[in-house]
This record gives sequence, structure tokens and C-alpha cells, in this order.
Amino acid sequence: MLMCRDLAGIASDYIDGELTGRRNLSVKMHLMMCKHCRSFIGNLRASTDLMKAHSSSKPDEEFIRRIDERVAEALKTRKPRDGNNE
Amino acid sequence: MNTAVHPDPQGSLIEDLKRGNSSAYKKAVREYSPGMLAVARFYLDYSSAEEIVQDCWVTVIDAIHKFEGRSSLKTWLHRIVANRCKNKLRSSKREVAIDFSESLEPELANRFNATGRWDLPPSLKFHESADTLMENDALSDCLDKHLSALPETQRSALMLYEAHQHKSEDVCNILDVSASNLRVLLHRARQKIFLMVETFQETGEC
Repeated sequence: MLMCRDLAGIASDYIDGELTGRRNLSVKMHLMMCKHCRSFIGNLRASTDLMKAHSSSKPDEEFIRRIDERVAEALKTRKPRDGNNE
Repeated sequence: MNTAVHPDPQGSLIEDLKRGNSSAYKKAVREYSPGMLAVARFYLDYSSAEEIVQDCWVTVIDAIHKFEGRSSLKTWLHRIVANRCKNKLRSSKREVAIDFSESLEPELANRFNATGRWDLPPSLKFHESADTLMENDALSDCLDKHLSALPETQRSALMLYEAHQHKSEDVCNILDVSASNLRVLLHRARQKIFLMVETFQETGEC
């Protein structure tokens, strides 16, 4: 029988739909009976969403500026292909 | 007369890049560089990783003409970065050290009793969306701190899979890891982020 500790060990695979049929089914059965594990799966999803929202909100402006400078410098030395450089 | 039609915005961005349009490069640099850095950080320390990303953009100016659209621009860029990093590692005869052990984080493992049931169940409650929660600067700073503290390999895997939404097989290919090892990296990174958010929500402390 799948215990809460076992479920925590495969929760990430479950979230990503990577578990095979029988294993996936045993997680679903466990979740029907266990509110703590339902909460754990929900929290794992939500904290990952937070990480996603966070990392897409703030590019490092200094890092971007340094690349822009390198690219601008390199573009100056290349001939525009269609005469359209801006 | 050029009658080519580009129904997707990426198609026209690629055409602009091929023409050497500087605005297109600015747009592409802003959009794709964070993901390229996440790839490079898997293999290298921060300053070498940043240098590789800069070098790759310079390479892209010449190489973009060879881009045939068999993969997305993002995947193509990430592969260029990965290949360059692998070459650098090879030339310095170094390898990436990765911990693929599958255990639960100790902080989480200690929360189960001897029968494997929760002793200290999860306490997090989310009443707001992720975007609303991210308006909390303290939480945002805390996430920054903990993301930086993740092992590079875990962070890169998590960023590429979640934030940059690559398919598993693309992440495996770019990071040169097996599918099962990618699962371990994602699993361990998510546990750490979960524990961090839970502590923050409970105590307000990072």
C-alpha cells in the first residue's frame, strides 16, 4: 500500500504526468483518502507556480545591458544583408 | 517581389535577426538570454556562464542564416549554449558534479512517522494567484535567495522545464542528462522551493 511518505517521494513525477498507469492509479486512490497528501500535491504545484511567476518577472537588467552592448558592437562590424539595419 | 508571409511573430523576428536588425536583437536578447544563462549555469560558474551567453549571441549574428526552423528559436539557442559549455568543459577536462540521489529532503523526510504517515502535515494555504503573491517584495526576495542557493544543476533543470517550458526530452538533450536523472533534479528542486515557501508563509521569515 502506498504511504504518505512514498507519495511525497513521487509527487513531482505525478504532477508532471510521468507515472505509469498502475502507479498513477495508486496515487489517485491515496489522494482520495488523504487530505494531507492532497494538500501537499496542491502546495507543491502552487510553490512551483510561484517560482515560475517570479523568474519570468525580473530579468537581470545589468546582464541584459552587457549583452546588448556586445551585440551592438558585433553588429557594427557586419555588413547588413538587405541594407536594413534598423 | 517578396511575397513571404509570416503568420507567427517568431517567424518575423527570425527574419529581422537574419537582416541584422538591431531592435530585433534587443528584443531577442531580452527574451531568450535568461534561459540561455540557465543552461550555461548548469555547466559553469556565473562569470564563465555569462561570458558564454555573450559569445553565443555574437555567434548567432553569423549563424542565424543557417537556422532552418526545425526546432524553435529558443531550443536552437539553448543547444548552441549547451554545446559551447560542453566544449569548454572538455577543453579544461572538467565534469559537472551532479547529485542524483533520490531521497526526500531531510526537512521533509522528518515529517513522517514510523508508519510513513504525516506527523507534521503541510500547512501552506494559497488564497491568491502566484502573480498576486509575487507582488509581495519580501516573498520575491526570499525566492531569489533560495533559488540562488539551489545547486546549479537543480536550478537549471527547474528553470528550463518550468520557467522556459521545454519538453522533458529537450531539457535532457540540452543538459545531457537521462530522463530519470532529470526527474530527480526536478523532484529535489521542487521540494526545496516548497519548504521555503511554507516557512515564509508560516513565519514571515526567509
